Amino acid sequence: MSFIFLIKLFRMIELINISKIYQLDGGNFTALDKINLRIKEGELIAITGPSGCGKSTLMHIIGLLDTPTIGKVIINGRNIQDLTDNEISALRNVYAGFVFQQFNLINKLNVLENILLPTQYSRQKKTFIAKDRALDLMDRFGIKEKAQSYPNKLSGGQQQRVAITRALINKPKIILADEPTGNLDSKTGTKILDILIELNKKDNLTILIVTHDKEIALRFPRIIQMFDGKIVKA
Amino acid sequence: MEYFRLILLSSLDDFRRNKLRTFLTSLGIMIGVSSVILLIALGLGLKKYIKLQFEGLGVNIAIVMPGNIFNNGNIQPGRNVGGIKFDQKDVQSIKTVAGIKNLAPTYIKTVAVKTGGNSQIGDLYATNEEIFPMRNLELAKGSYYSKSDVAKSSKKVVLGPKIAEKLFTDIDNAEGKSIKIENLNFKVVGVLKEKGGGGFGGPDFDSFIYVPYKAVLSLNPDKKFSVINFQVTEESEMDKIKKAVEEKLLRRYEKDDFSIVEQEEIQNTVTMIFSVLNSVLIAIGGISLIVGGIGIMNIMYVSIIERYQEIGIRRALGATKNNILLLFLSEAVLLSLTGGVLGLLLSYLTVLIIRIYFPAYLDVIAVLVALTTSSLIGIIFGVLPAKNAASLSPVEAIRYE
Repeated sequence: MSFIFLIKLFRMIELINISKIYQLDGGNFTALDKINLRIKEGELIAITGPSGCGKSTLMHIIGLLDTPTIGKVIINGRNIQDLTDNEISALRNVYAGFVFQQFNLINKLNVLENILLPTQYSRQKKTFIAKDRALDLMDRFGIKEKAQSYPNKLSGGQQQRVAITRALINKPKIILADEPTGNLDSKTGTKILDILIELNKKDNLTILIVTHDKEIALRFPRIIQMFDGKIVKA
Repeated sequence: MEYFRLILLSSLDDFRRNKLRTFLTSLGIMIGVSSVILLIALGLGLKKYIKLQFEGLGVNIAIVMPGNIFNNGNIQPGRNVGGIKFDQKDVQSIKTVAGIKNLAPTYIKTVAVKTGGNSQIGDLYATNEEIFPMRNLELAKGSYYSKSDVAKSSKKVVLGPKIAEKLFTDIDNAEGKSIKIENLNFKVVGVLKEKGGGGFGGPDFDSFIYVPYKAVLSLNPDKKFSVINFQVTEESEMDKIKKAVEEKLLRRYEKDDFSIVEQEEIQNTVTMIFSVLNSVLIAIGGISLIVGGIGIMNIMYVSIIERYQEIGIRRALGATKNNILLLFLSEAVLLSLTGGVLGLLLSYLTVLIIRIYFPAYLDVIAVLVALTTSSLIGIIFGVLPAKNAASLSPVEAIRYE
């Protein structure tokens, strides 16, 4: 029991020899080329590299939004290839929280409804009262009074805090943030990064961000550098 | 339950944002549903109207006709070409059957009728006085001819209101006047009240010229009857009495020489013919429902393209393909159902207007038809776009702008 637990602890996510190949009219395009990667629980990681190097694709595969063309993705000891699409959706729902550059909030839902959206799709029995948890988190990130507001009435920084709250609502194991500061001014961006780093320190949450900004990457203890679909430095 | 409430809210919100589009799309279904419902309402009304018309012609009536007009249990009016005609002997033998209330042997002939300078072609209905109570023929003016008039071959005539109007312009002028039927002089003793009908396969009693059958024997030298009408006292005894009448007649004739038709059977046949016609019309009306369905399909595709990113976001947050399918399918059904309910309201209002002229009506079946067909249209035409939405790759959907 404790042995399996230890394996899980040290190998929360394991990518074995994965490639992502897109078939285009003019031939194949290899977005990811034989990547091997292990991520342990509680890590604070930045994936960095020039645009088009495959860092977002890698993040999508880690977050179960996409599947590799070749290779194995193992999450908590389970091979994703063995799961149905429904099982992958259910796993994504509780295991990963996404934060995007464009915030990706649903404009017709208010802030609280946006934050509660992932709980709609939960199939597991919740150990918390969703609305109470949402309000607590909103309080923590200073957006509690915006609960009934609509996303397009909020500043970029506020929208990204809503997105982070939404990512946290189902108590995920990992937060995946794709250029989370890309649409924010540097001051606001720094604050958002502070929040993510604090979540790692205080809550021991695994945080993985994708950024092309080396300065931002330097704040992260583990930096995965990519170039042309390959990891050049892990 | 909460999940369905949220789906419903999401759909309603989408409708609120696209009010005109939603209205125009459901308009297609509304027109389709209301045309189908209206045709159903007219069909129901027609059935009722036929029933009323026939009941006005008296109940528990059967008619003995020459020839075998039945074929496999269906009435085939075209086969009414039997060679025989009935005579007084047949009438006497039928008269001995117990349970017959009225018996009216009738000779029918198309004749020339003249009064003063006015000459018309009319249907002579030479029978006895029992036809009047049997067929609920009420007087507008004057009197009937009596049993003794029949016995004495009195040259008395009772006119149906239509022929009376043709001959005298106003039925008030007819009573007491002389008319010439072929070469025989008759006196008009009465004019009947209008009965209506005659247009649905039943006889047109408003157009007949009623005379005692013995008064026109010179026009009917063989002293034969075209048909024998009889009315039974108890409806429950109809089958038994028909059987008894048949047995009497089989002593003289072959089985194929005559038929005994209940008025109800004629009514059923007429009703059936109109039901088939009505069904065809409803099917044609149904085409507009399909057109409405295509409108829904079209708008669902548009809506899905507009909401690619939302689909991607929902998938990223853990929505399964089925969650997405259900989201859009319920929207299509709701859209179609809205049209169905509006169509129902429209047809209800139209029926209220039609009722002034015709007994059309809506029943619970029409309501069920409207709601189930519109839901079905929503499902059928919503499922392809919804499947399309569900099968989108989350990554591509989320990136779409």
